[in-house]
Amino acid sequence: MNYIDLPLQELHEALVAKKVTPLELTEEALKRAHADQNNAFEYLDDEGAITFAKTLTEPEKDNPLWGIPYFAKDNFSTKGIPTTASSNILVGYVPVFDATVISKLKAAKAVMIGKTTLDELAMGGTGTTGHLGKTFNPYDPKHERMIGGSSCGSAAAVSASIVPFALGSDTGDSVRKPASYAGLIGMKPTWGRISRYGLFPFAPSLDHVGYFSRDVYTSAVLLDVLAGRDPHDSTSSMKEVEHYEADLKKPVKGLKIAVLKMVTDSIKDEEIKKHFYSSLEGLKKEGVEVDFVEFGKDLLESLYATYIVISCAEATSNDANLDGIKFGPYKGGKTYQEVMYNARTAGFSELIKRRFVIGSYCLMRENQEELFLRAQRNRAKIVERTNEILEDHDFILALAAPSIAPLFAQASDKLSDEYLIADNHLCLGNFAGLPSITLPLGYKSGMPYGVNFMGRAFEEKKLFQISQAFETLTGLAETSALAPKEAKL
Amino acid sequence: MNFEAVIGLEIHVEMRTKSKMFSAAPDGFSHDPNTEIAPLDMAFPGTMPVVNKQAVINAVRVANALHMTIDHTLYFDRKNYFYSDLPKGFQITQQARPIGKDGYVMIKVPSGEKKIRIERIHMEEDTCKQEHFMDYTLLDYNRAGVPLVEIVSLPDIRNGTEAMEYAEAIRNIVVYSGTSDGKMEEGSLRCDTNVSIRPCGQEAFGTKVEIKNINSFKNIEAAIDYEIARQSRLILSGEAVVQETRRYDEASGKTVRMRLKSDAVDYKYFCEPNITPIKLSDEFIDEAIKTCPELYEAKEKRYLSAGLAQSDADILLSDPKMAAYFEEGMPLVKNAKDLANFLIVEINGYLNKEAKTISELPLKPATLATIVLMQETGGLSHKQCADILAKVLSNPQMSPEKAKEELHIVAQVSDSGAIMGFINEVLAANPQSIVDFKGGKDRAFGFLVGQVMKASHGKVNPAEVSRLLKEELDKR
Repeated sequence: MNYIDLPLQELHEALVAKKVTPLELTEEALKRAHADQNNAFEYLDDEGAITFAKTLTEPEKDNPLWGIPYFAKDNFSTKGIPTTASSNILVGYVPVFDATVISKLKAAKAVMIGKTTLDELAMGGTGTTGHLGKTFNPYDPKHERMIGGSSCGSAAAVSASIVPFALGSDTGDSVRKPASYAGLIGMKPTWGRISRYGLFPFAPSLDHVGYFSRDVYTSAVLLDVLAGRDPHDSTSSMKEVEHYEADLKKPVKGLKIAVLKMVTDSIKDEEIKKHFYSSLEGLKKEGVEVDFVEFGKDLLESLYATYIVISCAEATSNDANLDGIKFGPYKGGKTYQEVMYNARTAGFSELIKRRFVIGSYCLMRENQEELFLRAQRNRAKIVERTNEILEDHDFILALAAPSIAPLFAQASDKLSDEYLIADNHLCLGNFAGLPSITLPLGYKSGMPYGVNFMGRAFEEKKLFQISQAFETLTGLAETSALAPKEAKL
Repeated sequence: MNFEAVIGLEIHVEMRTKSKMFSAAPDGFSHDPNTEIAPLDMAFPGTMPVVNKQAVINAVRVANALHMTIDHTLYFDRKNYFYSDLPKGFQITQQARPIGKDGYVMIKVPSGEKKIRIERIHMEEDTCKQEHFMDYTLLDYNRAGVPLVEIVSLPDIRNGTEAMEYAEAIRNIVVYSGTSDGKMEEGSLRCDTNVSIRPCGQEAFGTKVEIKNINSFKNIEAAIDYEIARQSRLILSGEAVVQETRRYDEASGKTVRMRLKSDAVDYKYFCEPNITPIKLSDEFIDEAIKTCPELYEAKEKRYLSAGLAQSDADILLSDPKMAAYFEEGMPLVKNAKDLANFLIVEINGYLNKEAKTISELPLKPATLATIVLMQETGGLSHKQCADILAKVLSNPQMSPEKAKEELHIVAQVSDSGAIMGFINEVLAANPQSIVDFKGGKDRAFGFLVGQVMKASHGKVNPAEVSRLLKEELDKR
């Protein structure tokens, strides 16, 4: 046990009491990171982190992030620190500016230890497609199970208790799905609540900054710091930032939850389902109203296709800047077309190229109506249905994933009901831009799994309130691969 | 067979805003390459576009001047294509919902005025500048992201002269609304034209040829008229006009082929996800229009009613800085026409000789007005005032009064009573000259005028002297 394993609140008290210093925490985080066996890191900033930690000598009592080490996913722009988005096309790229969230954490005196791996350019959900290869799940020392993606490295770093929190990004479920596989809190607030300036875009209409932590309190106080209007991101909201931890202890009696029936029905794992139902009973005991609602099978089944069309279309355009002229490895060529062709051929993996081809195909004049615009219209229907359910309920609840972390060998994208619905429903929160949080529910064969709550736009405070109640119910705060717990339920 | 030409113009205007269309970098007019760039302009990963408010205000003003319907919500789209001058791999433009639609502008034609309808005006961003060498190309990102408005006409234009008039009318609007300096020679106003011809009476359009790289208003006219003649010749000799892009070669006065046009490129437009639709309030739009600087047409009307000739108004308005100078002096003189004369003749002459612009003129409008007033109420001749002006221009510290004194210029006497006094005095002293004049010797008249001028020490108005002397001699 080290100070770094403490819950954030206790760690903060220890820092204020000068029982431990930011430098000691930073050195411990670096030590653990260097020893880590999960292939979670793109870059460890030993020198920068230690230099910054050394400047933190006067504890700030009212700043819970003071001196706290953290990791950022390697698709956040970090001034002077190489940033590759786990793609060969960006090897050697050193950004000239900090993403807004990085600046905010710097201003809050949190210490960035380094950058974590991701599925190449954040496109993927397995944590296997980055240019450094697979990232492993710390709960599985045999390295047979994935941790999920695309924010695989950040999930692994928090789950292995290297740092108390880490930044990720979430376009379909890239924070909230790995959170389920890694036994973590994975939060993504309302679209526009946190500035995306400096986050490498995948599909901006779906992209969110998100993050991992090991308790709900940390998740809430982080949003206090990260949220807010940013003049560099004109889609960031003008809405005032709240004290998101204010209602953590408020009783949840009378809150209404809609459980997506079709999601549960499509899941085959009876043990997980049973556990999920007993958590619902637990919530009811707290006075929460639980309804099972039909979302509509057709709509749920269309989530994946809609997501692929929109996200690939936006991605093909966003990554057009990586052309070997400004960014990317220069591979020669007689004409500008050849320069671009050679650089992009060498820089992107096959999977990425496939997504670009799909996106480009959907945007072609002759296909746009049938594919891209149709997907947009369908997205509008999905959003309408989601908001309809949320008119009568405070939250939508479902199991975050149909299973524990899959084996690498079994990873497939077969279009089963289970896959189509239960493995893809988290993107509802991206389509509608709603706040959404994954929380640990329990373990099966030593591997964690979780649930997901989604709330109304900008009702993050209430989302943390129910999350805290759920965390109390399961007793699964502060779990890590180092110290797994038994679920209370 | 008689042909009718159908001509459409796409005009791109670079806006002179403080910062770029979507980034905070200065507006990219530095002559030092790659010095005015924000990370967005080079498409650094993670950068995001923020719409420039002044660019929107400018676009609203131009749209209003062109009598367009203004969209109260701003939408932007991405136009996707790969090119070495396009940093992001897409251009942010307004494809689906341009800020202005369905407008027109009136142009002058020999028979009076003609309405040219305008399809759309939209905002977009410029690309970076390329300089090509034998085996490499240099890129200057200063221009990348400079705000543009594009104005697209409907095919109402029928010949090169109308096209030139149209382009000049657009230039006048963008220049006087403060949107752009509208200089074709420097590329801040760029004009692409589409030209096709069809037999008179035929409704279907002929094959369109695009002409690019026209670098002056005069060349719009020349290029189009050349192209119309070329296409007519082709058709008359039984050949087909091919769809292609040509450029105007100034030296030969001809259009030459750049490339054949295959099917139009698919730009895969879609809505820009990083800019949510922006509502423009009625107040915002009204304010933009209300605060728009006075436009060319209004100024022209005002100048003409102040007594200026059309040709004088045209000259003054051809340079907005000249017009501004003129307007500053206007309330200080009695007759605007006198001020206009000095500006058009003496000041322009001076500027041409010195190769200076009006901004470099070492003379305040008020000082020029003082000199004009010397003519209008101070009894000095235009010539005398011009001398004073020349003196002041060569000694910018000197006041007009001082110059007048140094030049020994005194006010002329035009009062006929006083002049008659001198005349009678001179005639009394020179009876022989009267006899000579009556005897037909014209020289005697000149001698007498000279004597009057001498007697008055040059203070009398020589024209008035001639007139009165003639009258007096006729009486005797």
